Amino acid sequence: MSEQVMNENPDATEVQEESSSVERCLTFESGGLVLFLSTNYIIETITGYPITYIPMLPPFIRGIINLRGQLLPVVDVRLCMGKQGVELNDQTCIIVIDVDSVPLGIVVDSVRQVTDIDMQDVHPIPVKRQQKLLNGMVTMSDGSVLMSFDCHALAECRY
Amino acid sequence: MDNGMEGMLDTYLYETNSLLDRLDEMLVADEKVGDFSSDDVNEIFRIMHTIKGSSAMMEYATLATITHHIEDLFFYIRDKGIDSLDQSHKKELFNLMFRSEDYLRGEITKVENGEPLIENIDDFAKDINDFLKKISGAATEEEPAGTAAPGAAPAAAPADKGISLPDDPKAECFLHLFLEEGVGMENLRAYMVANAVKECGVDFRYYPSDMESNPDATQEIIDNGFFFAFDSQDVASQAVDIIKSQNHISSYELMSAAGKEEPAPEPAPAAPAPAAAPAVPASPKAAPAAPKSAPAPKASSGAPVKQSLISVNLSKLDSLMAIVGEIVITESMVTASPELQLLPRDSYDNFMKSGRQLRKLTDDLQDTAMSLRMVPISGVFQKMNRIVRDMKQNLNKDVRLTIIGEDTEVDKNIVDSIQDPIMHIVRNSMDHGIEATAAERIAAGKDPQGELILSASHTSSEVVIAVSDDGYGMDPDKLLAKAREKGILTKPESEYTQKEALGLIMLPGFSTNKEVTEYSGRGVGMDVVKKNVESVGGTITISSELGVGTTMTLKIPLTMAIMDGMKVTVGSSIFTIPIANIRQSFKITADQIIRDESGNEMVDCLGSFYPIIRLHEFFNLETEVTSAEEGILMWVEATDRSYCLFVDNLIGEQQVVVKPLPTFLSSFNLKNSGIAGCTILGDGNISIILDIISLYTAAIENA
Repeated sequence: MSEQVMNENPDATEVQEESSSVERCLTFESGGLVLFLSTNYIIETITGYPITYIPMLPPFIRGIINLRGQLLPVVDVRLCMGKQGVELNDQTCIIVIDVDSVPLGIVVDSVRQVTDIDMQDVHPIPVKRQQKLLNGMVTMSDGSVLMSFDCHALAECRY
Repeated sequence: MDNGMEGMLDTYLYETNSLLDRLDEMLVADEKVGDFSSDDVNEIFRIMHTIKGSSAMMEYATLATITHHIEDLFFYIRDKGIDSLDQSHKKELFNLMFRSEDYLRGEITKVENGEPLIENIDDFAKDINDFLKKISGAATEEEPAGTAAPGAAPAAAPADKGISLPDDPKAECFLHLFLEEGVGMENLRAYMVANAVKECGVDFRYYPSDMESNPDATQEIIDNGFFFAFDSQDVASQAVDIIKSQNHISSYELMSAAGKEEPAPEPAPAAPAPAAAPAVPASPKAAPAAPKSAPAPKASSGAPVKQSLISVNLSKLDSLMAIVGEIVITESMVTASPELQLLPRDSYDNFMKSGRQLRKLTDDLQDTAMSLRMVPISGVFQKMNRIVRDMKQNLNKDVRLTIIGEDTEVDKNIVDSIQDPIMHIVRNSMDHGIEATAAERIAAGKDPQGELILSASHTSSEVVIAVSDDGYGMDPDKLLAKAREKGILTKPESEYTQKEALGLIMLPGFSTNKEVTEYSGRGVGMDVVKKNVESVGGTITISSELGVGTTMTLKIPLTMAIMDGMKVTVGSSIFTIPIANIRQSFKITADQIIRDESGNEMVDCLGSFYPIIRLHEFFNLETEVTSAEEGILMWVEATDRSYCLFVDNLIGEQQVVVKPLPTFLSSFNLKNSGIAGCTILGDGNISIILDIISLYTAAIENA
């Protein structure tokens, strides 16, 4: 049901020691964008958890899930970005993150891979107005462009 | 501060607080009868002694000093017998003791908060000493009770020939020892010295011979030192060598049995060097000079009571509760798992048998874990004793406080949160409830002494706490007039029932007393009390009869962590309604629904009309059940609000573990939208627990 992402992987810390600006990041897709987030924030990715809808909340909070007895709120990144929400089913992929001890689940379209990204290569986004959940972009060696996902903004609801 | 020190501080605070609680209890009880029992004098003495010792250990010098003075005072009282004090002295003593208790409590609170302690305690110490002087009088000045240091000139004392040598005909010579002043537990230290000497193979006897077991020997040792008796000079000189290496000995002196003094005393070096050698026990015999009477340090007479209580950090209990909750849920998840149906018949039966056993064990585990958090309510009640006592004096009212059922046990969290409300109610009753003068009471045909009854009792799921006074009682007309003046009436005055009128005092901004007194009427009134009680899921009701008295009743659930709930469905969501709030559930037909001009729905239940809240509309949930016939109405009630909830279906009753909402959601104020929390059902699904009060507020009052 769940697959542990390798943030417990000893490599992650080793990489950091080699060069402080290189971080292990998880890349994932949401609403046609490819985003990345440092694995320091990520606990695991899970699928197959039924989401319980909680009324009286803003629509981007899809509800809560029972993660082994812990209640975890789940946020839809697409709805946060003003797009059509993800259709929830058994295969819905949820990334469990922990931002300053606030546990949170984010619904994404799909999870890609874990890769090393040098934070010095991450540039600010030129158009400042709309991307409140994104705080940078980086071009990978294969030419693809990744966006940096700002999980602090998400946790503090600054969007 | 490192961990060990912090642990010690915790223990110190816990211990000192419990001692102070005990002290408070005794003082209030004793003051009622206007006298200290001799047991209590001993007990107070011991309490002060313990606090002194532990404070000194924790290096709170001022605390140690004050408790030392009080200890001295009680030493004197114990020595002389409490009857030697006349009534005015006793009264003064009570006031002094209450003041001391307040001081100690204040200082302990400061220690808890890490604030600096009051440095200047001279005045207070002087007050205690003055009182001691007053009761002891000039004649008893040389009594060893006072603050005059008893061992101030111990070295000189023997020279006065005022000391009689122990009666020991066999002894060739005596060694007369004095301990350092104020080392504490003198008898035990003396005994340790004796043991050390014995261990070196020296044959001798010591006096007082019962120093290790007789706490009274302490004073004797402080005043007169203690003696070792030796059969020969050689042995004595051997012992002197050992004694030189012992701690806490201020001086010693070798004397021959004939009374001739041996060479002058010399100060003992204080170097720690316990000597080891084969032990040759010497049997002490002969009685020493009769001990006068003296302090009892920890080794008090009587069989020692084995400590069967331990103190546990509350957060540990909380996490234990959380884990037990998980186990209960997981257990039902396992036994209700649909895959089990695939098992062959025999294995399935076996599995279910083990499952039932597991359920029994988890139930027991849950009960035990719950009981750990239960504490008697007596702690809260005792504090009220003190408040009544203080207010009685300040307001000059004669009131007797009767406490019933103080052994009633309540969850620790709840005890903490109901203390303030109860205190507020008690203060109100004392201040406004009970008649101002005894004459007024006599004129009303009542006992001149007012009565305040504080009672606690259990029902199956809640604890009922009642505070009643036999004072003025409340006048509904006056309350209504006052409410009109304040403009907080919501309907014509004539429509208020008596119960509703009394309920007015719990509205914000309502205070019947125009004057602000020290104790009540500070603007925070019954509305705060009500809020506090409701925050722990409790309710408060008032009943009052003019001229007879007022009773306020608090009903509080035994625990907030686990409750009985009724599961209902609305669309695909499952809600849990606390059973305590449910009055009735029933089906209706569409024509039973009555609508007002804005379309709000109401229904007639047992002759009264109640509003209907359709949960699917309020929470904006999709459901196919919208017609009155298909769904079901739940008639719910909380405090004074009563209404009906329209839901799709009833699933059943279940005991649920209440889980708070995730922190991320706390900024969305769900608590004010009728959602109290969540619970995980046996099948792993999440159910939302409804808050009947805030749901009403959100759906009807703020609609």
